[in-house]
Amino acid sequence: MSRAPAGRLRLRVDPVACEGIGLCAHVADRVVALDRWGYPIVDGDLDAGAAVRAARRAVRACPRRALWLEPADQRR
Amino acid sequence: MTGIATFPRLPGRRVGASGGLTDRLLLSDVHLRRSGPADPVRHVAAESLVEHLARLGPRPLGGPGLVDLVQGSGLLGHGGAHVPAAVKWRALAAGDGPLTLVANAAESEPVAGKDGTLLRQRPHLVLDGLALAAEALGAQRAVVWLHGDDDGGRRAVRTALEERRRTGAREPVKIVSGPVHYLAGESSAVARGVLGGPALPSTRRPARGPHRPRTLVHNVETLARLALLARDRPPTSTRLLSVLGADRVVVEVEAATTFARLLAELGWDSRPQAVLLGGYGGLWAPWDRLADLPLAESALRSEGLTLGAGVVIPLAEGACGLRVTADLVRYLASMSARQCGPCAFGLPALADSARALAEGRGHDDLVQRLLDDAGLVEGRGACHHPDGATRLVASALATFEADVAAHVAGRACPARADHPLPGVDGAGTVPVAVRR
Repeated sequence: MSRAPAGRLRLRVDPVACEGIGLCAHVADRVVALDRWGYPIVDGDLDAGAAVRAARRAVRACPRRALWLEPADQRR
Repeated sequence: MTGIATFPRLPGRRVGASGGLTDRLLLSDVHLRRSGPADPVRHVAAESLVEHLARLGPRPLGGPGLVDLVQGSGLLGHGGAHVPAAVKWRALAAGDGPLTLVANAAESEPVAGKDGTLLRQRPHLVLDGLALAAEALGAQRAVVWLHGDDDGGRRAVRTALEERRRTGAREPVKIVSGPVHYLAGESSAVARGVLGGPALPSTRRPARGPHRPRTLVHNVETLARLALLARDRPPTSTRLLSVLGADRVVVEVEAATTFARLLAELGWDSRPQAVLLGGYGGLWAPWDRLADLPLAESALRSEGLTLGAGVVIPLAEGACGLRVTADLVRYLASMSARQCGPCAFGLPALADSARALAEGRGHDDLVQRLLDDAGLVEGRGACHHPDGATRLVASALATFEADVAAHVAGRACPARADHPLPGVDGAGTVPVAVRR
């Protein structure tokens, strides 16, 4: 596992809570893609301010509260 | 059925025995019923508390010293993922809520039987490990977690607990029976189950609030090894394996034994084409690559392989690896808890493609589609169930490369024999897993 620079954030999804509604990708397509079944793919650390802002929009938009931000160097 | 050996010399003898320099875990190797809980075909009496104490002496108390011992010994988990026990112990420091320590005996791979066998033969060794860890970590509760249908395992633990109580031992250990489905032994499912929730996998999310209940889940073999470690016994140089030929057997083998020697000693009279390592959610490796490799996990890891929880399923020459794989992926899809979209939708998609390939309905795009779908599903469940399926598919495409080419080209499947497996024998008999 590569160690991310201190302070960098990562977007995570709880796949149990997620119901594939897709609002996250709608408001933040910069950091969220949908797979062919409509579930979000949120791979990768957020490397720029704009990406972090998009990720926060996605977190706020989710009606299932399935998304969150965490330090990128945290053990999964 | 051709080429599938019987195991005529079992039970009662040891494979790869080296003269008893170190402790062993099992009393004897056993023949098990072909599927279901680890009930032996011929009864093996459990080690009594008296015998246990005569062999190993009294159990030491678990204290802070044990934490250092676990750290220094590099004790690995034996539930399949081989996570160092010390990593799990350290992770507990993140919270301060009441701690439940769990001995997880719910092995779910249909061929696996080593945990159930260990629990039936040496329940006191497992209970020692559980009590030691609970004491060392200051747990409030200790639980033995079993599949709901494992009556034999439950009986073994109950008898052993009664023996211990009669000697005045004060170990508040409870037996908890979980559901029977495939994911009931997954550690996040166990953690929820023992706290009274549904025994379904969950995602580790940022903790909300202090003093949340904590759960530490250890496989029963891990705890048995801990019990030996705490007594300053040299670490065992053996590996517990569940092997499926015409019969299902559980054997304890020197880890330096090669696959070729293992199968020869088990009476396998012909060379398999490949071996499924770790069980239905495991991976295929061609026999040519495996034959001279030792069973030790470290050696396998350096080859990019793993035996998981020690399940070995050789595939006879003449059987179609792709057909078996299609059956297994369908089985895994049926065992999804259907909580996570990528697993609930991705595994049936993988199963359909694998079936199409096995039946020669393949086309050039099909293999790519299998790889793409596997990539899409990998790592996206709350637990590693979908990852088992994607690894199985990827390893099948590599191991049975020549068969893949033949099936895609529409040539007749070269298989001359079926390869029936417990739980997936015959079409449409796969038991249905939990529904949401």
